[in-house]
Amino acid sequence: MSSPFNVTFQAAGLTVSCRSDQFVLNAGEEAGIALAFSCREGACGTCKSKLVSGQVHMEHKGGIRQREIDRGMILICCSRPLSDLVIG
Amino acid sequence: MNDPIDVAALVTNRRRGYTLPAPFYSHPQIYQEDVRRIFGRHWIFVGTEPEIPEEGDFFTIDLGTDSIIVLRDDDGGVRAFHNVCRHRGARLQQAQRGMFGNIVCPYHQWTYNLQGDLIRCKHMGEGFERGGFGLVRVHAESLAGLIFICLDDKPALGFDTLRTAMEPYIAPHDVANLKVAHQTDLVEHGNWKLTMENNRECYHCTANHPELLVSMLEFGFGYQPSPDNVKQVEGFEALLAREHVRWAGYGLPSGEIDQLTDETGFRTVRLPLARSGESQTRDTKVASRRLLGNLPQADLGGLSFWTQPNSWHHFMSDHVITFSVLPQAPDRTLLRTTWLVHKDAQEGVDYDLDRLTSVWVATNRQDGELVERAQQGVTNPAYQPGPYSPFTEGLVEKFVEWYISRLEATHGTL
Repeated sequence: MSSPFNVTFQAAGLTVSCRSDQFVLNAGEEAGIALAFSCREGACGTCKSKLVSGQVHMEHKGGIRQREIDRGMILICCSRPLSDLVIG
Repeated sequence: MNDPIDVAALVTNRRRGYTLPAPFYSHPQIYQEDVRRIFGRHWIFVGTEPEIPEEGDFFTIDLGTDSIIVLRDDDGGVRAFHNVCRHRGARLQQAQRGMFGNIVCPYHQWTYNLQGDLIRCKHMGEGFERGGFGLVRVHAESLAGLIFICLDDKPALGFDTLRTAMEPYIAPHDVANLKVAHQTDLVEHGNWKLTMENNRECYHCTANHPELLVSMLEFGFGYQPSPDNVKQVEGFEALLAREHVRWAGYGLPSGEIDQLTDETGFRTVRLPLARSGESQTRDTKVASRRLLGNLPQADLGGLSFWTQPNSWHHFMSDHVITFSVLPQAPDRTLLRTTWLVHKDAQEGVDYDLDRLTSVWVATNRQDGELVERAQQGVTNPAYQPGPYSPFTEGLVEKFVEWYISRLEATHGTL
């Protein structure tokens, strides 16, 4: 088990710890940050966020388009960190 | 003036060759019939494929009281759905255009894929059958890149005939590989039929459209023969014959097809343009230097295409203009105009936006004023139906004939 990554939520101005097997949304929730979400499975797109820096592994179910991913967007409900992250 | 009227009697008693009686242009009861029986039952032109170039792209459109989502699905096809959630009916999408991942209702997050299947909904119980709650489809067809929808479960007959006839004319302009350079929404203060009637004649052009007339040859739009114009008419007819032969050599069909009184009524013809003969611009030269498709020349005149009840289109070698007419109220009509150029054409390099759009921006404004003036007149108590010119207003009469015949054909069926 590798050491957790730092995930910074720019809007909240807070940095939290996120394990590599943990979804970014869950890490934010555990730290008490109010984040928009609905389905928790990558289908609805409610939690779509800008990945300002860092890399994630995302397994979505159609809630995001490839061209949005190409522009740096992610669904935080189904993304696990591969590095430290900054979320816009 | 808004007392109940006998629509069936007005339809039956319509005098041929004359403008419609006043209630057709102003009475709420007729407007309701128009929305239901004309716009609810026929193929309505609502937009173009370049407005939704990629999977997930959509636009919404209001047709009477219906809101419709038109989108490009994951297989690249065009689909349309009623903009109503199957849960508690909330409007799914307020935006006029944008992009979907899946279609998610903002109210309780019921989630549909682009095929309209309900793929996710919380708290509905183990036995809940999502299959019964897909989005309600609306018939949608692309005619060589022009998108038509029909709200009726049994769509109006004749779209296949339209497609077979028109594809060879439109295909060389390669609409799928165009992009939207500009779009305007002009609200005209008149009944939608006045907008359409105004489009179907050029009797009014000489005195009202100085910009359009630079490139237009008026003899292509009807005239009364007289000793004064016999030489000009001969010149026009000879030019037309020469050009049709030249265009045929490029594989461009150009002869007139007039099916305006069909259930899915339409008309087309390619006509020469004046002077350099290239485009509907202020100097008749192309506005975009990227020619469309594999068109071999700039001077290909203009292919015009008209549909009942709500559209007209002009295809030139360098750009395409489409017009969609959507009623908003008995005395208010939306005219949506879209200018399309080659998708690789760059603004400021290959085309100047003002040069591309200025003729029809001016012409639309002038037509909007004429429609408003006509609305003021037909709602004046002194108005009585007046005669159409047999030489210049035959296509107006065909529009009105089509309209009346469609009201007759659909009477009592809703």
